[in-house]
Amino acid sequence: MTRFTRRQKKSATLALRYAIAIGVTMIFLFPVYWLFMISFKTPDEIFHVPPIWVPGEIQFNNYWVLFKDGDVVAILNSLIVAGVSSVIAMVFGTFCAYSLARFNTGGENLAMWIISQRMIPPIAVVFPIFLIYVWFGMVDTFAGLILLYTAFNLPYVIWMMRGYIADIPLELEESALVDGCTRWQMLWRVVFPMARSGLMATAVFTFVFAWNDFIFALILTRTDVITFPVQLTHYMGGQSNFWSKIAAMSVLGTLPIFIAVTVMQRYLVRGISLGAVKG
Amino acid sequence: MSSDTTTGDRISLFSDRHFKYLMIAPGILILLLVGIFPLVYSLVVSFQNITMTEVDTSFHGLLNYKQLFKDARLWQALGHTAFITAIALPLELIFGYLLAQLFLDKMPGRQIFVALLVLPTVLSPIVAGATWRLMFDVRFGPIGQIVNYFAGEPVTLLWTVNPSLVYPAIIICEVWQWTPFMFLLLLAALSNVDQSQLEAAELDGASYWRVLRQIILPAIKPVVAIAVLIRGLDMFRIFDIIWVLTEGGPGSMTETISLYTYVIGFSQFDTSYTAAVAFLVVALLSVIVTIVLRRTELVK
Amino acid sequence: MINRRLLMLGASLAALSPSLAFAQAKNAAEIAVEAAKKYAGTEISIVWEAGLQSLDPLNYSGPKWEKLTGIKVKVVEVPTDQMFTKIIQDFRSGAGAYDALNVIPSWMPDLVKAGALEPLDAFVDQYSYRDELQDIAAAYRDNQMKVGDKIYGFPDDGDVMLLYYRKDIFEDPKMMEEFKAKLGYDLAPPKDWKQFSEIGQFITDKMAPKTYGAGFFRSAPYPQYMYQERFRMEGGKFFDAATMKSTVNSDVGVKVLAAMLADNKFMPPGVEQWNFVDNLANFLQGATAMTISWPPYGRWAAGYGANEEALNWVPKTQVAGKVGYAINPLGRPELGVGFALSVSSASKNKEAAYLFIQWLNSKQTSLERVQLPYTLRDPFRTSHYESAEYRKLWPDAGAYLDTIKLSGEKGLLDLSMLQQDKYDEAMSRSLSSLFAGTDPKAVADDMAAQFDAITEKVGVDKQKEIYAAWAAKPGAYP
Repeated sequence: MTRFTRRQKKSATLALRYAIAIGVTMIFLFPVYWLFMISFKTPDEIFHVPPIWVPGEIQFNNYWVLFKDGDVVAILNSLIVAGVSSVIAMVFGTFCAYSLARFNTGGENLAMWIISQRMIPPIAVVFPIFLIYVWFGMVDTFAGLILLYTAFNLPYVIWMMRGYIADIPLELEESALVDGCTRWQMLWRVVFPMARSGLMATAVFTFVFAWNDFIFALILTRTDVITFPVQLTHYMGGQSNFWSKIAAMSVLGTLPIFIAVTVMQRYLVRGISLGAVKG
Repeated sequence: MSSDTTTGDRISLFSDRHFKYLMIAPGILILLLVGIFPLVYSLVVSFQNITMTEVDTSFHGLLNYKQLFKDARLWQALGHTAFITAIALPLELIFGYLLAQLFLDKMPGRQIFVALLVLPTVLSPIVAGATWRLMFDVRFGPIGQIVNYFAGEPVTLLWTVNPSLVYPAIIICEVWQWTPFMFLLLLAALSNVDQSQLEAAELDGASYWRVLRQIILPAIKPVVAIAVLIRGLDMFRIFDIIWVLTEGGPGSMTETISLYTYVIGFSQFDTSYTAAVAFLVVALLSVIVTIVLRRTELVK
Repeated sequence: MINRRLLMLGASLAALSPSLAFAQAKNAAEIAVEAAKKYAGTEISIVWEAGLQSLDPLNYSGPKWEKLTGIKVKVVEVPTDQMFTKIIQDFRSGAGAYDALNVIPSWMPDLVKAGALEPLDAFVDQYSYRDELQDIAAAYRDNQMKVGDKIYGFPDDGDVMLLYYRKDIFEDPKMMEEFKAKLGYDLAPPKDWKQFSEIGQFITDKMAPKTYGAGFFRSAPYPQYMYQERFRMEGGKFFDAATMKSTVNSDVGVKVLAAMLADNKFMPPGVEQWNFVDNLANFLQGATAMTISWPPYGRWAAGYGANEEALNWVPKTQVAGKVGYAINPLGRPELGVGFALSVSSASKNKEAAYLFIQWLNSKQTSLERVQLPYTLRDPFRTSHYESAEYRKLWPDAGAYLDTIKLSGEKGLLDLSMLQQDKYDEAMSRSLSSLFAGTDPKAVADDMAAQFDAITEKVGVDKQKEIYAAWAAKPGAYP
C-alpha cells in the first residue's frame, strides 16, 4: 500500500462530494418528481397499490381536463393579479426607494417602519381588510386583490431597491444634473438603466410572492378572481382528493415561477435575504 | 446601505425640496391605507361585540381582551407555532449549513446543482403541502412503500392522523421546502469568509471545531441572524402547508395561530374577538421584530 | 312601474280564467323555462359542493338550462366544510357573487337569521310550484324546507345512510354455518351495533387481509353524522333540555365513542384516514364486507355508470350483483347532510336564480338528475321511488329504492341549532382526535365543554328555545 498522493486524495474527495451532491439533490427533487409523474398518470396508476414509480405512458388527459373545464382561468387570474400588482409596486416602490436612498427621507426610522410592515403576519391584517373590503364592495375583484398585493409587496420593493440604488455611483447622477437634465430625465436616463438588473430581479420576486400567496386570496376571492393556489385547494376535501387535477394544476402553476427564478438565479440570494446578502 | 448623510446633502444642494416627498408619497400612502388603517379599524372593532349574527357596535370595553386569557385553544395554538419553529428552524439551519459546506469548494456543475436544489423554496407552499400529502399517503404514497420495504412487513404509518406522526410530517415538509433557502444564504456567507485566516488556522493545526467557533461562525453570524429572522417570522405565520396537510387536526393538535385566527374569524365569524386576537398577534410580533431588528445587521 | 302593472294584469287575468291556466297544463319545469327566457344572455352563479356533486350542474343541468333558456350557469365549487363560511362571507361582503345556493338544511336557521336566504313563498305561488313540492318525501319536505312557516329552500337530495353488505359473503353456507356455531345467531345484516362488531370481527378473522369485516369513512367532516345517529340510537341526548348543559359526555356518550374507536380494529389498517371516496374504493374493490354511506355507493357498486368518463377516477366495481342493501343497525339511519336549493338574498338576479332552482328541483328535471350515473343526488321524491324507469336501471334497483325509501321514512334529523356550524366543527374535531387515539372519556368531556362554550356564547335561553323546538320533531330522537 502506497500513500495516496495529494492529487489522488483531492480527486477522491471530489468524487465523494459528487456522490453526496447527487444523492442529496435526488432526495430533494424526489417529491417534485413524484408530483410531476402523477400529473401524467391515469387514474388506475394513481390509485395503484403499491405505488407506481414510472407511469406506463405519458398522457396529457389530466391537463386536458383542466383546459376543458376552464379551470386554467385560475392561472390567468394569478397572472393578472400578480403581474399588475408587481408593476404598480415596482413603480411606486422604486420612487420611494430613490427618495430614501438619496435624500434619506424620514431617516432610519421610516426605513425601519417600512420593513417592519413586511413582517406583520397576513392573518393579523386580513381580517380587518376583509371587513373594509366588504364595506367598499372590493371582495372578489381584481382591483381589491391587486391593491392588497401591491401594498404587501411595497416594503419589499422599497427595501431592495434602496439597496440597489445606493450601489449606483452618485457621480453619474450629479454629472447628469450638471449637464442640464431635469430630475425626471436623470431618473430615466441614469438611475433606471443603471439599476436595471436590480429592478428585474426585484420584480421577479415581487411576482413570486404575489403568485404564491394563499391566505389573502382564500379570503378575498369568491368566483371571479380565484387564483391558482385557491383553485388547487378546491380539489381537496372530505369527499375525495382529486390527485390527477391537483398534480396537473400544481405543475401548471409552478412553471411560470420556476422559469422566472431560473432566469434570475444570479440575484436569488440577494432577493430572498431582503438584500442583506449581496451574493 | 446608504444611510450616510453627506451623500444626501450633496445631492439636495441642487434639488427642489418637494421632489423627495413627491416621490415617496404614493408608496407611503398605500402602505398607510392598507397597513395602518386596518389595524386602527380592528382596534375599534375589538372593543365591540360583533358576532356572526349580531351587529352590535356598542362599546364593550375589554370584554374580548379578557377572553384572550381564558381561551386555552388560543394559547395552545401559539404553543404549536412556537414548537414547529423551535424544531424546524434549527434543522433548516443545520442542513443548510451542511449543504453549503458540501458545495463551498468549486466543482464543475455546481451551478446546476444549486439551481435544482432551489426548486422547493420557490414552490407555492400550497403545492409543497399537496406534494407531501401525496408522498405520505398510506396506500398510494412512496414513503409508506419504502418503509414497508425496509421493515419487511406492512407498516401502517398514518402521517396525518397519528398524533406522534403529524408533527414530523409537517416539519419534514417545512424543512424540505426551506432548507434550500438557508443553504443559499449560508453558501454566500461562507464564500465570503476570509480564506487567509482559514489557511493560517490550518497551518496551526487547529481542530475543525475551533476553526468553526473562532473563525467561521463569527464571520457568518450576521447572515445567520438575517436568515433566522426571515424564517422565524415566516414560521410564525405558517398556514398553507398545515391547511393542506392536516387542517390543524387531528382535533386541534396541529392548529397554529394563523389557522386558529382563520377559524374564529372566517368560519365562526366572531368578528370582535378575532380583532382582539389579531391585535395580540401584532403586539407580540412587534415586540419580537423590534428587538431582533435592532440586533441584526439588516438595519445599520 | 310598467312591469308591475303588467304583472298585476297578468295575475288578474290568471285569476279570472283558471281554466286557461289548466288548459295549458304546464309542469313546473316548463313554467320555469318559459319564465326564464326573458333573462336569456345573463349569467347566474350557483354554489355547489365541490367535487362529485358539482358534476351535475357542470356536465348536465347547467348546459341544459343554458340551452333551454339562454341563461349561463356558473358553478362555484366549495368544499363541504367551507360552504357555510363562504355563503355567510359572501352575504356579509354584500358582493352578491352567489345567486343560487346549495344549503345544508341544518344550517338553514342560521342563514335565515343572518338574512342570507330569500324567502321563496311568493315565487312558489307565482310559478305554481306548490303541488310538485308535495311530491317530495315527507322526511325532507317536513324538515328541510322551512324555517318558521316560510319556505327557504327546496329539499333536493335524498341523503340518508344505508348499510351495504356483501351478499356473497353473508350467504356463503360455510360462513353462515361457522358464524352460527360461534355466535349463536344467523349471519345477516346486523340489527344492532353489538352484532355489527361481532360480524365485522368474524369476517375479518376469516378473510383478512383480502376482505375486512367493514370499513367506514373516518376522516372529517363526515363521521360526525354516523356519530350523531349512533349516539342517539343508543340512548344519548345532546343537551339537558332544562339547563342546556351538554350531555354528550354522559356514560352513553363515552360508550359510543369507545365503541366507534374499537370498531376500527377490525377495519382495514389506515381506515382512520379514509374519506368518502377511499371508503367507496375499498368497498368496490371487495376489500370490505360492510359499509355505511349515502345512496350513491349502491349505484356505483352495481356498476351503474361504470363506463362514464366522468367516473373514471372511481375504481371499477368488482362487486356488482353481490351487494345487498339494508337499513342501518337499530333501524333509524341519519339523514346526514342533505341539500336544499335556495336563493341568496344578496343576489342581483333573484328571479332567474329562483327559476333555475325550481327547474332543477321539479319532478321532471330531478328525475333525470337523480339518475345521472356520475353525481351524488339521490332519489328524494315519491315519484322517484316509484319510477319504473329507475327500477330498471340494474337488477337490484327496485330493492335499492325500497331501502332508500324506508330509510328516509325512519330517518333521524341532524342536530340543528343556532350556529350549528360550530357544533358541527366541535363534533368533527372531537372525532378526529378520537380516531387519532385520544381517550374516549377525554374526547367526550372536551366535546361537552366545547358545546357548552358555544351555547353560552350564543345565549342559553335562545338556544333552549331552538333546541326544544328541534327536539320535539319526530325525527330528532328515536
